[in-house]
Amino acid sequence: MEELVSLRGIVKHFPGVLANDNVDFTLRRGEIHALLGENGAGKTTLMNILYGLYRPDSGEIYVKGRRVEISSPRDAIKLGVGMVHQNFKLIPSHTILENIILGLKEVGLIINYKKISEEIKKLAESYGWRINPDTYVWQLTAGEKQQVELLKLLYRDAHILIFDEPTSVLTPQECRILFQALRRMAKEGKGIIFITHKLDEVLAISDRVTVMRKGKVVITKETNKTDVSELAQYMVGRPVLFTIEKERSQPSGEAIIIKNLKAFNDKGVLALKGVDLVVMNNEIVGIIGVTGNGQQELVEVIAGLRKAVEGSLIIDGTNIVNSTPDKIIELGVAYIPPEPLRYSVAPNLTIIDNLFLKAYRYKPYSNGIMINWRKIHEKANELIKNFQIVSPSLSAKAKSLSGGNLQRLILARELSGLIGERIPRLIVAAYPTKGLDIGAAEFVHKTLIEYSRKGSGILFVSEDIEEALMISDRVAVMYDGRIISIFRPGEIDIEKIGLMMAGVEIASTS
Amino acid sequence: MTKTLKKPYTIKIGRRLHYSRKLSILTTFFALILAFGVAGVFFAIIGLNPLEVYSYIGGVFTSPILLLESLKRAIPIGLAALGLCVAFKMNFWNIGAEGQMYMGMFASTGVVLLHVYYGLFPDYLVLLLMILGAFFAGGLWCSLPAFLKAKMKVNEILTTLMMNYVAMYFVDFLVYGPWRDPKGYGFPLSIPFPDYSKLTIIFGEFAYGGLLLLCVTAVLVFIILRYSKLGFELRIVGESIDTARYAGINLSKVITLGGFIAGGIAGIGGLTIVSGIIGRLRPRASPGYGYTAIIVGLLSALNPWLILPVSIFFGGLFVAGDILQATLKIPGAAVEMYQALIFLFIVIGEFMKRYQITITRGGDS
Repeated sequence: MEELVSLRGIVKHFPGVLANDNVDFTLRRGEIHALLGENGAGKTTLMNILYGLYRPDSGEIYVKGRRVEISSPRDAIKLGVGMVHQNFKLIPSHTILENIILGLKEVGLIINYKKISEEIKKLAESYGWRINPDTYVWQLTAGEKQQVELLKLLYRDAHILIFDEPTSVLTPQECRILFQALRRMAKEGKGIIFITHKLDEVLAISDRVTVMRKGKVVITKETNKTDVSELAQYMVGRPVLFTIEKERSQPSGEAIIIKNLKAFNDKGVLALKGVDLVVMNNEIVGIIGVTGNGQQELVEVIAGLRKAVEGSLIIDGTNIVNSTPDKIIELGVAYIPPEPLRYSVAPNLTIIDNLFLKAYRYKPYSNGIMINWRKIHEKANELIKNFQIVSPSLSAKAKSLSGGNLQRLILARELSGLIGERIPRLIVAAYPTKGLDIGAAEFVHKTLIEYSRKGSGILFVSEDIEEALMISDRVAVMYDGRIISIFRPGEIDIEKIGLMMAGVEIASTS
Repeated sequence: MTKTLKKPYTIKIGRRLHYSRKLSILTTFFALILAFGVAGVFFAIIGLNPLEVYSYIGGVFTSPILLLESLKRAIPIGLAALGLCVAFKMNFWNIGAEGQMYMGMFASTGVVLLHVYYGLFPDYLVLLLMILGAFFAGGLWCSLPAFLKAKMKVNEILTTLMMNYVAMYFVDFLVYGPWRDPKGYGFPLSIPFPDYSKLTIIFGEFAYGGLLLLCVTAVLVFIILRYSKLGFELRIVGESIDTARYAGINLSKVITLGGFIAGGIAGIGGLTIVSGIIGRLRPRASPGYGYTAIIVGLLSALNPWLILPVSIFFGGLFVAGDILQATLKIPGAAVEMYQALIFLFIVIGEFMKRYQITITRGGDS
């Protein structure tokens, strides 16, 4: 089979990291090639080199047998290389058609909208997608936006397509549609590179798989000659247990009672349309759903960061709805927000500052005016040890930590009872394992389970169904601003949960 | 495809991941050299020998008398800059130190007038009350924009800048009107301050008393920023408002209080002008010390210990400006110009520290 792309001996250094260490990679015509590895394994770096976002320190790139230099995405696009990023690069206030035209180079002075519109429609139909080019992008679901990104590339005749974790924003149904399209493209002779860290996807879609670890290629293999446990071992370098030992706990008393909670999102649209949910002490309640169905707004309202317009949140007999964040913190609510670097960590401040981001103002660390740095240093050293945070020093900047260590820092701050010397009454954890590698995610899971045993009630928001089923005592499905179903893991099969997440089927179990 | 076409040069600007202290100092040094170089060209254009001009400027820092004069000027500049350390630490871009200084002058003169005309308090309390008054007046003047920023996200750069003019013209109004010295032959001046209300009573020479005040304030600012609860909160607010909110910090309280302290220290800077340098209130008593303080604060990287030497340098530039005007008959505008050039090159230097500029000729495909 013809080789569309061949990367030979690619080396790429970043300050302090060898992101790609002498990597070889080939992509054949008509194949779907999965690029598997943990976060930080170097997959995205490698693909960014192929897409011209980075230049390699050394190594050669061949496209269709010809040696090429790719110094910008523009060069890559000229060579037929296209990339669908994790975050869509579309302009929401423009239509699909306008977004596609934006990327074109040879449109001339007068744009023939009608012709392009027809062509796009035809192209979309050939993959079984129903798309009206005049729809505004903000009206689209994540799956549809991805289709538009893909159409952008296909319309420009890209035939080497890179997908960076394309399923992370999709429902199971949307995934299936994407996979069908991918197979069709492969059949047409395009080459597809599929970056992922999910093993089941590799097996479901790819023809070949390349596993990367710590910047190196571990192996490239035909997919049908391997299996989940072998791939996992290549990926993390040690056998992984896929289940967590967990006895079902005996809940006692409510950690929080959420009643008819309503709130707007940032765009002023009602995002919570009456949420009812109870989390007991000792219990982990998992919330699953496609991103954007109100999960974010729910956790923000509980943490006091977003105003509710109606409803109540009762913790220990007190209604905390619309209290200030500090009042809620003092009641023993720990909040692990999504995307640590966005606001739960100040990246340019030191590790010790970040550990005491909340506790600095309480006794014994402060007398109300001055801060007792000696006490803080003592305690910080203890936390570093207990939560196994690997860091050069306490005064290193938080941004120097890896994702896993950053999450450990947040766990240490939120859970270790810095405020009032007690464990949290309620832990709200939103996507705490997102972007973490298997080892770090395992630590988060174990820690949460440990605290639920100690008595904390835990609200655990995840977009990974299997993860939620694995660690939760009960699972709630969130759709369109409401909890539409609550069940115990094992009561409902995954396929049906997927349908509920997509709003197709509403189960009557509770 | 278009193989024969030559690719154009492309300029890429990328963030530096880290930069060393050495590079930082070198860059600042280089920026100063460049500023003097470019200023020299302008001096040459207006018919002066740049070397002669530089020797006058250099002379300021070698003559003990002129150095003492520079120190006097450094005191209001340094105090205002210390206030800015607090404000800039929380990312509050206070351009209003000038106005806060005028409010400080207003309050300290007010205390003097109250005492002279009504004698409400004993003489030895007057200076203390002046300091308190200046602190409160400057502080309130700055906490208004701070409060507006915290509550309504009003851009503080605009409000603090505009309030400078309000404060300046308010002082104008007072000395041209109700506060004009009846025995002053109609000049727009307040009455001369009695001795007990002047900073000269501390050590005789104003520069020494002022220096003490500046050093004590620097220590206090250092302690606030480094060891106080408020300092910790200012740092988090400065780093990210979202993080501060998440941490449960009361944003409006912290920002307003931070603004109050920043403005208050600048207000004391204003006091040192009327009660130290001039000895009475007059219009335009500050030749822009509050604006110079912004450069001083940034150049000191918000480090209170560096404020003193850097303010002396800029104080010296003011003295040099006066001397150049008097001896070489250089227009005042030219003096302001070379100060502005120094600022400009420092800002460019700061940019070069943080960003890397690479010029490449696009690779051929």
